[in-house]
Amino acid sequence: MGHHSNWPEWIYVGVVIALMVWVGAEAWNAERLVEHIPADAEVIKVTGQQWFWTFEHEDGTKEIGELHVKSGKAYKFEITSKDVNHAFNIHDYVVLMDAVPGRVNTVWFAPMEVGEHDIQCREYCGLIHYNMRGKLIIEEDSS
Amino acid sequence: MKSIFGLFLVLAILVIIPAVEYVFAAGDEPGGYLDRRVIIWNLFYRMMTVAFTVGAVVSGTIIWLCWRFRESHPKATPTPYEKEGVW
Repeated sequence: MGHHSNWPEWIYVGVVIALMVWVGAEAWNAERLVEHIPADAEVIKVTGQQWFWTFEHEDGTKEIGELHVKSGKAYKFEITSKDVNHAFNIHDYVVLMDAVPGRVNTVWFAPMEVGEHDIQCREYCGLIHYNMRGKLIIEEDSS
Repeated sequence: MKSIFGLFLVLAILVIIPAVEYVFAAGDEPGGYLDRRVIIWNLFYRMMTVAFTVGAVVSGTIIWLCWRFRESHPKATPTPYEKEGVW
């Protein structure tokens, strides 16, 4: 067994390491792109509580259960919770971030088409979790 | 052992160092407008392509190994242990 060649094993190990590094770099790069918030993004404070969402725009306007935004603009969500852990999710825009009491988590998105999309809590938060929904309404930017 | 270090050196120069440099080059500057759906789903589909390709190669290799090294294969040769009948 002593003169048996180990090369195939080492090549296999090398290919696996190279693949893992490539997968890691690609994922890291996608995360970097997605996490860099545009400078002109409007901040919307999002608060989760059993069992509804509250939104506060930069100008102080508050909304409950509905969020009105303009198409073609970037929005940065500052997400927190008043009671237990929730998770803010706009499924159609792949927005998903935990809402944790005492902590502000951020995520941003830029809607490009007018339309209506569902907002849903994605962290089990009690009896009415299933119905902790909201509506994202994207309107034409008239300004 | 020398050649193994050589292999890893080549791998590091080709793949690992550029990837690490690329990642650490990312600063805190503001990002541009982009559609996160495109970035995230594109990453997902590329990862799935890699996963299924690797899965096909690995399972194909295992199937071939089982087929080639079965006892009834025409070119099957006994191992030294089997030849001598002593374990």
